[in-house]
Amino acid sequence: MSWELFLDPSLLRLAVAMSVPLVLASAGELLMERSGLLNVAIEGMVTLGAAAAFLASFAAGSTGLGLLAAALSGVVVAAVFAHYAVAWRQEQVTVGLTLYVLCLGLSSLLYRVVVGVRLTPPRVETLQPVVLPVVGRLPVVGEVLFHQHALVYLSAAVVAVVHLVLFRTSLGLRLRAAGENPVAADTVGVDVFRLRRASAAAGGALVGLAGASLPFTLTGTFTEGIAGGRGWIALMLVIFGRWTPVGAAAGALLFAYVEALQFKLAMVSRAVPPQFLQMLPYAFAVTVLVRAYRGARAPEALGKPYHREARA
Amino acid sequence: MRRLLWLLLAVLVVAGPSGAGPARPRMAMILPGVIQDADFNAVGYQALKEVQSTTGVQTGHSEQVAVADAERVAREYLGAGYSIVAFHGGQYLTIVQKLAPLFPDATFIMESSGQIPNLPGNVWNIGRKFYEGFYVLGVLGALATRSNKIGYIAGIRLPDFVASLNAVFQAVGKYNPRAEVLYTFVGDQNDPVKARQAAESQIAAGVDFIVISVNLGTVGVIEAARAARRPVLLTTFYTDKSSYAPQHFTTSLVSNFGKPYVEVVRQILAGRRSGYYEMRPGAGFGLTPPRNVPPEVSRRVQEVWRAVVLRQERIEEVTDRIVERR
Repeated sequence: MSWELFLDPSLLRLAVAMSVPLVLASAGELLMERSGLLNVAIEGMVTLGAAAAFLASFAAGSTGLGLLAAALSGVVVAAVFAHYAVAWRQEQVTVGLTLYVLCLGLSSLLYRVVVGVRLTPPRVETLQPVVLPVVGRLPVVGEVLFHQHALVYLSAAVVAVVHLVLFRTSLGLRLRAAGENPVAADTVGVDVFRLRRASAAAGGALVGLAGASLPFTLTGTFTEGIAGGRGWIALMLVIFGRWTPVGAAAGALLFAYVEALQFKLAMVSRAVPPQFLQMLPYAFAVTVLVRAYRGARAPEALGKPYHREARA
Repeated sequence: MRRLLWLLLAVLVVAGPSGAGPARPRMAMILPGVIQDADFNAVGYQALKEVQSTTGVQTGHSEQVAVADAERVAREYLGAGYSIVAFHGGQYLTIVQKLAPLFPDATFIMESSGQIPNLPGNVWNIGRKFYEGFYVLGVLGALATRSNKIGYIAGIRLPDFVASLNAVFQAVGKYNPRAEVLYTFVGDQNDPVKARQAAESQIAAGVDFIVISVNLGTVGVIEAARAARRPVLLTTFYTDKSSYAPQHFTTSLVSNFGKPYVEVVRQILAGRRSGYYEMRPGAGFGLTPPRNVPPEVSRRVQEVWRAVVLRQERIEEVTDRIVERR
């Protein structure tokens, strides 16, 4: 086994492609958490997004419609969550877990209603790689970064936009204020409730798109369990990234790399039990989380309902 | 009012049990996955419906039953009066061994990679000799590969899949000793994302022929083959998925679980409550005509298939370890 195994361009290209659902989901979750909403329905939302995307595309023959359906499904679930969390000030983890289970069941039900039982698996066309001009011809880097499908480029753009909005605009400042000190923010005229609902909607759309990336780029179909825990990993990545989009994206790339590496190692190393290699990405995630959590400071009001009337 | 009550009573008497004879037995099937997987669970469900239509037995089923839940689900069926309980999957052996002595009036049907010794007297055992079919898939890979690298992708290390991998090794060792077999157990039969990653890794390592031994994970391998920059051929099993990617599929080892289940249920209805039924090439397993390969390869593979059906080709069954042969 040589070190070249770890820098194989095909491995790196696969890692970039596999990071898309994690990048989008963590960006969406990040937006919500920055405003003070802790959304643990994320795994269910990714699954529902995948189902909505596949079924809409399957029924209408349009990938665009599938993406729209996925984003809408995320917005709807996030809106329900926000209503419970913001308007009714319910315990966010409880509401989130309830919605998680609901989304899983709804995904299966919708699939069965639309597709039914068949002996030929239904599929939709997956997105093909788009080679970017000029940069696509760069050696190694070109193949790894610029021979990718459209959602890779979209996820990179999302990271940039979320970063700019959060840290370079007054909207982002208000949103972060709502998550750090809603009382103070409310005092200076920031509409905390409206901002939280808006961040939930935007974040939900991104989480839904994260789900859509699974059938549209990796599998061509929907299966129960397609999310494979990526929602939960995205939740961890937000912490890893210290609630910054660039940090979360870097963590997503790292996790996707380790996930892709396990299969390469499985082929070249018979001495290592495959069960150990299968747990490698998750052991890595736990190790990183323990390390990354030291010194990490969550938004002060994360998970806490805001009681305007209680501030006196 | 009284007249109405007498009329109602008369209706109930007429519509009541006819007393024409004993009720037909009821059969339940417990499945590990979803029946719309177009794969293992779909063929199990298909078999159940065939039992119902052929024998008149009433049926019920439960999907996505993990091993940890199987005993509870089975007890619910038994408590509801089901006298035949079938477990569609090799992972339920210990559950059957536990329940059968506790419910001597019920008959259980279980599946395994071969005949299990010392089963209770109310258990039917369907033995699935997948490895014999996979041997032929290995022959096809050995003859069709141009890179001399054949991939094998499976989910969990069940004896069936270990034996199938070993059969592929034997086939490649005999029909193309220069070829190498690269294998990956992804840890999940039904995760297409992991299966795709494994396939991409194998294709990057030079594999141009993949023997698929996962269930729902198949779609991930197909997508990896479609995305590959050079031709990659595939095989699959349980159902014919060639319409999914016609230019990539060579053949499918199709399975008809209806045949053994109908036969077993007929035996149970006739009073024979235990026995062994072996599913193998020619008896529950079939091979779709090879495609996307040269005619002489197709002819050779079909010859080997016939030899396997007639038990003229010697294939060693090794279920407890992987024997890599070069």
